[in-house]
Amino acid sequence: MKNLTYSIGFAAAAFWGGMAQAADDVTLQLKWVTQAQFAGYYVALDQGFYEEEGLNVTIKPGGPDIAPAQVIAGGGADVVLDWMPSALASREKGLPLVNIAQPFKSSGMMLTCRKDAGVASPEDFAGKTLGVWFFGNEYPFLSWMSQLGLSTDGGEDGVTVLKQGFNVDPILQGQAACVSTMTYNEYWQIIDAGLSPDDLVVFKYEDQGVATLEDGMYVLEENLEDPAFVDKMTRFVRASMKGWKWAEENPDDAALIVLDNDETGAQTEKHQKRMMGEIAKLTAGSNGALDPADFERTVQSLLAGGSDPVITDHPGEAAWTHAITDAALN
Amino acid sequence: MTWLGIALIFWLAAWAVNVALARSRYHNTKPVRLIVPLLFGGSLLVLWEGLVRGLGISPVILPAPSVVAQTFVTSTDILWADFTQTVLKGALSGYAIGCLSAFIAAIAIDRSAFLTRGLLPIGNFVAALPIVGIAPILVSWFGFDWQSKAAVVVVMVFFPMLVNTVQGLRETDQMQRDLMHTYAAGYITTLTKLRLPAAMPFVFNGLKIAATLALIGAIVAEYFGSPTRGMGFRISTGVGSLSIDLVWAEIFVAALAGSGFYGAVALIERAVTFWHPSQRGRA
Repeated sequence: MKNLTYSIGFAAAAFWGGMAQAADDVTLQLKWVTQAQFAGYYVALDQGFYEEEGLNVTIKPGGPDIAPAQVIAGGGADVVLDWMPSALASREKGLPLVNIAQPFKSSGMMLTCRKDAGVASPEDFAGKTLGVWFFGNEYPFLSWMSQLGLSTDGGEDGVTVLKQGFNVDPILQGQAACVSTMTYNEYWQIIDAGLSPDDLVVFKYEDQGVATLEDGMYVLEENLEDPAFVDKMTRFVRASMKGWKWAEENPDDAALIVLDNDETGAQTEKHQKRMMGEIAKLTAGSNGALDPADFERTVQSLLAGGSDPVITDHPGEAAWTHAITDAALN
Repeated sequence: MTWLGIALIFWLAAWAVNVALARSRYHNTKPVRLIVPLLFGGSLLVLWEGLVRGLGISPVILPAPSVVAQTFVTSTDILWADFTQTVLKGALSGYAIGCLSAFIAAIAIDRSAFLTRGLLPIGNFVAALPIVGIAPILVSWFGFDWQSKAAVVVVMVFFPMLVNTVQGLRETDQMQRDLMHTYAAGYITTLTKLRLPAAMPFVFNGLKIAATLALIGAIVAEYFGSPTRGMGFRISTGVGSLSIDLVWAEIFVAALAGSGFYGAVALIERAVTFWHPSQRGRA
């Protein structure tokens, strides 16, 4: 009897092992915590799009102390989501990241200011305190300020930068005239905290001509020499984009799928549905392939850094590839 | 692989030299006592350098010590600005305020049974608050600049200083106090001539514990909102922008500042409590 139990156990173990081997493992490192910003990937997982492509995908949530570039450098992920300024800066530091797909067409980043702090246009920034996120998210802001000719060291002719935590307290308490917000997240925290949209002035990076590409998929350049890896990524990008388009069409269902995957339980249904609605506006218009013109605009904006540019050399076309999206989308 | 081999050979050779020195009859002479720890530390650095180069470890995971040293030399202006912000402004002012107020509170507690029962539990309670919980609150009360970091340091150093001083003031026994009484010494005289000197080993114990806590508190508090300078700011954002060499340079500065601070307090202690058994027999 005992032997029989063992045999069944071994058979089951072998079966499971076989199953796991049949699918290729892919680990995706998100840029931030589980939320509708990454709905496409969770939808693809939940709806079985990855499974259909023969992939066993693990999605690792990020957080305030996780730098995707460092995770991929340490071998903790096959593919990471990152913002292009941060990815290009990593590239200059000797970590060759390559953009393989760009599901986000537009930037959701804004600087949100209080009218009563005396800000009506970018000309009013001088002498004010502005809240900025760091950890690789400061690059778009720094390149914007240098284009405006404002120093970020404080003083009358410059702006005082404070390192903003991942909340909007500084603007609520009047410690900063403006804070960084995303259209889909922090802006609504300000509204929920009791300020009305009439009290606020919003500068979208997109409208200021300094928008940079957010949430692209990046892999290590050396891995792209391996055809098996390229094939795996092709299937991954195809399934992920299918997930994104599904999420755009069914925003409420996508938000619920995200909620199911939020292990922290910190997200609420109302917040995620609203976020998904805003995210759909940013992914609309992208089929996943990077538009070289958008890349060029981002690079020019980062190079135009005056005395303190974000990147010093044009990274060239090695920083992105259409090889995977061409194969995935045809 | 050559790098790895050279580093391993150097490490083993240094080890052998150290063992030989420790077994030689010169083991208690001053130069040998200086050479042994220096050689040990140096060989660890060589091993680190060799491992990083030999195994081709990415500089965004672990930079070689030579790279860190280079960054240290080329960015002394950044490091000095961060040191001023975090150590001189945040940690030292918080340390001074926290230790002084704890010292005064300890004397008040010692004087009054009411305060002993009331203040000590509150001090205990505040000491149990997690720094990650109070730091954001203090940042929103005192602003983003160094004042809120000093406030975090005050909260962190207050309790160890208080408990040690209270204990120290209880060091003298009834016989000694009675003797002072027979000399017609009042409370103030007894305090300054007998009880505070007797409490000094405890007071310095508190000061030494608080010295290391102050530095940690000031650095960690900068994680929760800060202006664009400071050691905590640089360490937390340097990881995000993959400037790991700068992060290590900051860690080196923090280690130097921490050891220097602790060492200074220990030196003052030796001068003040020269009579205590723990200080006897030292050069």
